Amino acid sequence: MLRITGGTVYDPANGINGEVRDLNVEDGKFVSSVTSGRTIDATGLVIFPGGVDVHTHVAGGSINFARAMTPEDHRRTQAFIRSQTRRSGLGGMAPTTFATGYLYAGMGFTTVNEAAVPVLSARHTHEEMADIPILDKSCLVLMANNEIMLDLLEAGEYERAKHIVAWHIWAAKAYGVKAVNPGGVAAWKWGKDANHLSDPIEGYKNTTPGSIVTSLAKIVDELGIPHPIHLHCNNLGVPGNISTTLETMKHLEGHRAHLAHLQYHAYGGDDWHTMRSEAAQLAEYFNAHPNMTTDAGAVLFGDTVTITADGPWQHLLYKLTGRKWGNLDVENETGCGIVPYSYRPSNLVNAVQWATGLELLLLIDDPWRVFLSTDHPNGACFWRYPEIVQLLMCADFRKECMAGLAPEVMNRITLPEINREYTLYEIATIMSAGPARALGLGQKGNLGVGKDADIVIYHQDKDIARMFGHPRYVIKRGEIVIEEGDIRETPDGNEYLVKPSFDPGTDEFLRPLFEDRYCMSFENYPVEIERIERPEFQQCITSE
Amino acid sequence: MVLVDIRETKSVKAADIFLQVRPGKDFELITILRAMIKDQPISETQIAETGLTMEQLQDFVSRMKAARFGVMFFGMGLSMTRGKHMNSAALLTLAAEMNAFTKFVAMPMRGHGNVTGADVIMRSQTGYPFGISFNRGYPRYNPGEFSTVDVLVRGDTDCAFIIGADPGATMPQPAIDHLARIPTIVLDPHVTHTSRLSRVHITTAPAGISAPGTAYRMDEIPLPLHPALESPYPSDEEVVRRINETLMKKPDWMGERPQILQTQI
Repeated sequence: MLRITGGTVYDPANGINGEVRDLNVEDGKFVSSVTSGRTIDATGLVIFPGGVDVHTHVAGGSINFARAMTPEDHRRTQAFIRSQTRRSGLGGMAPTTFATGYLYAGMGFTTVNEAAVPVLSARHTHEEMADIPILDKSCLVLMANNEIMLDLLEAGEYERAKHIVAWHIWAAKAYGVKAVNPGGVAAWKWGKDANHLSDPIEGYKNTTPGSIVTSLAKIVDELGIPHPIHLHCNNLGVPGNISTTLETMKHLEGHRAHLAHLQYHAYGGDDWHTMRSEAAQLAEYFNAHPNMTTDAGAVLFGDTVTITADGPWQHLLYKLTGRKWGNLDVENETGCGIVPYSYRPSNLVNAVQWATGLELLLLIDDPWRVFLSTDHPNGACFWRYPEIVQLLMCADFRKECMAGLAPEVMNRITLPEINREYTLYEIATIMSAGPARALGLGQKGNLGVGKDADIVIYHQDKDIARMFGHPRYVIKRGEIVIEEGDIRETPDGNEYLVKPSFDPGTDEFLRPLFEDRYCMSFENYPVEIERIERPEFQQCITSE
Repeated sequence: MVLVDIRETKSVKAADIFLQVRPGKDFELITILRAMIKDQPISETQIAETGLTMEQLQDFVSRMKAARFGVMFFGMGLSMTRGKHMNSAALLTLAAEMNAFTKFVAMPMRGHGNVTGADVIMRSQTGYPFGISFNRGYPRYNPGEFSTVDVLVRGDTDCAFIIGADPGATMPQPAIDHLARIPTIVLDPHVTHTSRLSRVHITTAPAGISAPGTAYRMDEIPLPLHPALESPYPSDEEVVRRINETLMKKPDWMGERPQILQTQI
């Protein structure tokens, strides 16, 4: 049992905006009162619900490939030293599993959503997720380039496709559906891409990226998956891609959707020399369409490694940078590309990207619909989130940073004209309450009675980055895991799963197709439930 | 299928074309191919050094460019001969550069057993695939210094714990001598050469036959192992877990140390 008294509480899920409240915890959940146990005097301290990351890449074949490709970074980064009860690890651009837990918890995050998992290697993703201490986790299965599903959409067999999607969510032991560059990753198997929403994709006559987007969004809604379709649009990172993004949003009308890392999809211009931010135009459309949520995918200057299922984009990035390039093709499902990258303020494109991410966060009015993310590790590493919080909360600091950019950037961005400063209440929304709600995790990002007791307690500090980078306490399910920068406990986290219903005949439908096209046996394909170390089931939303 | 090797192996039968490269000239051959796909000038004498002819290579390059999806498989003949990792790097670069013309990938052919699995797990937990030292309490990587052979030959280790491998049959004599000198513990379903020079051999159930687990294919796809038979022996996992549990009961032998090093020494 634990009492936290006298703290200034920010709990957007319950509309509590900076009020002094006491919190009581028993058996990992908030209760109305406790009779004994430790008391933390939080007078003068700031209390948030534990952070929730809606979009990150921390476990699985792709980040592990990135680890293999960047030993030079492991050598120069911080090292976690083992103790008798705690495993060692390395931080940096692609932190190791154990270090991932320490680093996220170290800045007050307690739940993360691994955004891209192919079924074929999901078994390994779950191994890595089980290794990440402290955090509760969920993951999304990659569907938009699954050739069996694409063939069904091509043949107009929508109902069957729906069962196939549900089957794959359960086979991967995933929590929802991710769509990456719909059609484009499949086309990449032929060295092609899918650039236009209404053009048929390579190898198909009728199926277009637009039709995949609409069908998948509808399927996810009809299945009642708690988290809507999690979409990485076509033409990521390409100048002028604003038109693709707006068209994609039109295809999503009438459906719930989460648009991932919108920063990478908000550019105007015709080429790298004329590229500019179109965040204002995008935000205007987004503000008017409440069916969508998004995460920023913000960029910070510095070194990182980019990893995405978007194979064709990574080939382009390799050609642009001439740096290392890793490519994986995952049979009939998806692919993945990896390129180390450095964002520089002196680079016009990078400067526009940096501004675009912040503009989206500042121009989207409703903090319940835009969330803090860097698309870790693509825009920056997750452990740099406190720097973004500082940029959002201090207009003067933003101006200072902009002074370091090349002057020709200024007429390509709208950031200099934006004076909005985030409040603590809004930060708590974009960092915790909002993403928890978008994920359909009602027990997270909420300090109400009966919810999971995930709590961050900060010192009040004028230096915002320091305040959010060094919490006084981090409490996970009632257990103090971080105290004044020291790791106290490293409990295992749970894994969120859903089990959407599907036609029991789906196995027999899939088996011959699978045996014809895949190179493992059908029985070995789905991840066994016994392999999920601490599963926690979430209910699907039932339609009235 | 095009096979490149220094001698006619059994795989020749399966190949459409066999290119016999002169031993130790892999790097040169790959570099010449990199130049040729980009139409850069190459002299007959440069090609002659590799043991091949201009016609052979021109045909090879045009075949590669005509492929819709090309794969280069490579093994220890490339990575463990003169040039070592430079050869692998050159081949990976060739594969990357081929993507300017058509889809191409390169993939290492791994050894027997679950080498890839060990690689994958070491990487996710430590960041590095092999050659890792934990003696400062966190992972450090330096093949050639921390690889098993080097540690043993230098006599740096005062105990050895060998799981599912038989270094006693494959490693250089000074390494084997050191294994015999120190307390060596072997976990293996069979009595191996290493078992014979060890202090302790623990027989374990063979994975995939009577112990469950996961094996990784060389493309890093994990496959579950379903045991078909019962075994009187414990699995490797169980033995390691029990040893670990016993070690945990020992008082902390590592002493005071920081939790985090901001900069590695």
